Amino acid sequence: MNDSSPALSLARVSRRLSGRAIIEDLDLDLERGEVLGLLGINGAGKSTTLRMISGMLAPSSGTVKLGGEDLYENPQRARRDIGYLPEEPPLYGELDVEEYLTFCARLHGVAGAAISAAVEKAIERCELGEMRHRLTSLLSKGFRQRVGLAQAIVHEPALIVLDEPASGLDPIQALRLRELVRTLGQDHAVVLSTHVLSDVLACCDRVAILHQGRLRHSAVLAEIAADSALRVHIERDVDKDAWLRMPMVASAQVIDSRRWRIGLKPGASTGELARAVNDSGFGLLELRADSNALEETFVRIAGHGSIGAAA
Amino acid sequence: MSTIRLIAGNDIKRQFAQPFAWILLALTSALLAWQFLIALDAYLRLAPKLDALPNSQGATDLIAIPLLRSLSGLLLLVVPLATMQSLAGERRAHTLPLLLAAGVGNLGIVLGKFLGAFVPVALIVLIAASMPLMLEFGTALDLGRLAAASLGVLLFAASLTAIGIACSAWTAHPALAAAAALVLGSLLAMIDMGARFQGIDNALINWLSLSTHLEPFYSGLVASVDIVYFLLVSVLALLLAARRLDSLRTRG
Repeated sequence: MNDSSPALSLARVSRRLSGRAIIEDLDLDLERGEVLGLLGINGAGKSTTLRMISGMLAPSSGTVKLGGEDLYENPQRARRDIGYLPEEPPLYGELDVEEYLTFCARLHGVAGAAISAAVEKAIERCELGEMRHRLTSLLSKGFRQRVGLAQAIVHEPALIVLDEPASGLDPIQALRLRELVRTLGQDHAVVLSTHVLSDVLACCDRVAILHQGRLRHSAVLAEIAADSALRVHIERDVDKDAWLRMPMVASAQVIDSRRWRIGLKPGASTGELARAVNDSGFGLLELRADSNALEETFVRIAGHGSIGAAA
Repeated sequence: MSTIRLIAGNDIKRQFAQPFAWILLALTSALLAWQFLIALDAYLRLAPKLDALPNSQGATDLIAIPLLRSLSGLLLLVVPLATMQSLAGERRAHTLPLLLAAGVGNLGIVLGKFLGAFVPVALIVLIAASMPLMLEFGTALDLGRLAAASLGVLLFAASLTAIGIACSAWTAHPALAAAAALVLGSLLAMIDMGARFQGIDNALINWLSLSTHLEPFYSGLVASVDIVYFLLVSVLALLLAARRLDSLRTRG
C-alpha cells in the first residue's frame, strides 16, 4: 500500500444497471483514522456504493482505489484490506462464534500461525468472550451484529465498510455499537452507511449525502455545524431586526422569546457573533452549534426530491 | 486453490454439523445395503446352478453392477437434496456477501461449492462400491469392470452435482432448487427413453442423454468420449452458476 495515498479513493465512479444509472460520477476520498457516514434515503444508491467499495461489484466506469491501487485490477486486495458488514450479518448458524471467525480469518487470507491470535483479538474487541462457544444461530440481534463486526475486522483491514450496523438494535445495543465503531475509526478507515442521522452524529468525522445516485453534499461534520447555524440563548427580549443589523448575521429565527437560531454569513466566526451579542447588551447565556444542522442539510437535499418523487 | 478448498471444507463441516446430511447418508447407505443383501441372497441361491452353465454370469454381473445401476437412479434424487442448500441456502441466510466480498472470483466460489457438495456424494458412491468389493474375499470379482462402473457413476454424480449447484444458484429457495435439479437431472438422464420406445434412433437425443454415456462404464468400457461428455455437462452447469453469481453481485 502506498502510504501517501488515501486509504480509499473513488474517482468519477458510475454504475449502470439495465441502462439506468444507479450511481453517477461519485468522487470520495477517505483517510485511515476517519469515519465517513454515507447518508441517503432508501434507493439513494448507498448499498450499490458500498458494494463497489467492498469489492463485490465493479463500477461501470471510474476507479475505486485502495491505498493508491485499483481495487478491481487486484481483487485479492479486497480479501486482505477490506472488512465488510452487510446490513444482515453474514453468519453461518451451524458454526459457533470461534469457528465462524476462524473461517472468516482464513477466507480473508490471515496466515495459519496468526489465525488464533487474530480471532482472539476480534473476540476481545467486540466483547464476545462469553459467547465464543455459542452457535451463532442462538445469539441475540445485538450479539449477531457484534459477531458480524468481528468478522469484518478479524483480518485487520485498512478499510471497514458497514451497512446500517445499528439497524434493529435496541438503544443500549446501538449505543455500544457506536462506541465500538468510534474506537475502530481511530485505527482504520471506516465507511458507515445509514439513514439514521444520530448514528452519523455519534460516530462519524465526515458525512457524504447521496441522493438519486449522486453525491450531493460532502463535509466534515464539525464544519457543517459551524457553517450552518448557532443556537443562542440571551437574557433580553429582542426582535429579528436587532439580529439582522449585526454584520455577520445572515438569518435569525426565533425558537422562543429568548432563544434564537442564528445563521452566519460565509467567513463569519462564532467568536465575532459572541462579541457582537455582548456589545449589544443582549446578555449572552449560551452559544452553541445547532445540532439540527445536519438534519436540515439532509432534508434540504433528500426531502424535496423524495416528496416530489412520491407525489 | 486454497480458497476453493476452504469454501468446500466449510460447506462439508456445516453439512455434517446438521442431522440432515447424516440422515441422508445413513438412509442411502441402508437402502443400498438392503439391495446388496437381497442380490447377494439371490446370488447364493443361484450359484450352484450358475456353476454348471458355460460362460455363466458371476458376482460382478449379478451383484456389483446392478447395485451401481440402482445407485445411479438413487442419485437422481439424493444429489438435488445434497446440493439444494449450497448457494440457495447462502442466499436465504444472507451469507453470500461474505464470499462475494472476500476477493474470491465467481468461479472460485462455484468450484468451492461444487467440491463441498460432491465430496459427500462421492462418499455415497464409495460406500456403494465397497459393498461388492467385500465379496472379493469369497469369490472372484472383475475388479477392472467394478472400477470402470464406479468411475462412471462418479462422473454421473459429478454432472448431477454441477446441475444441482447451477439450480441452487438460480433461486434463494432450497426446495425449489432441489425440485429443479431433480427435473433437469431426470430429464437429461431419460431424454432418450421416449425416442427409444418409439423405435427412433436419433443420434443427437441419444448423445445428449446421461444414461447413454454411463452405460459403457457398466460393461467395463472407459471411453474418452464419455468422460469428455460428463466433464462438458459439469463445466457448462458450473459456468452457468458462475454467470448467475455475477448477476447477483450486480443486483444484490
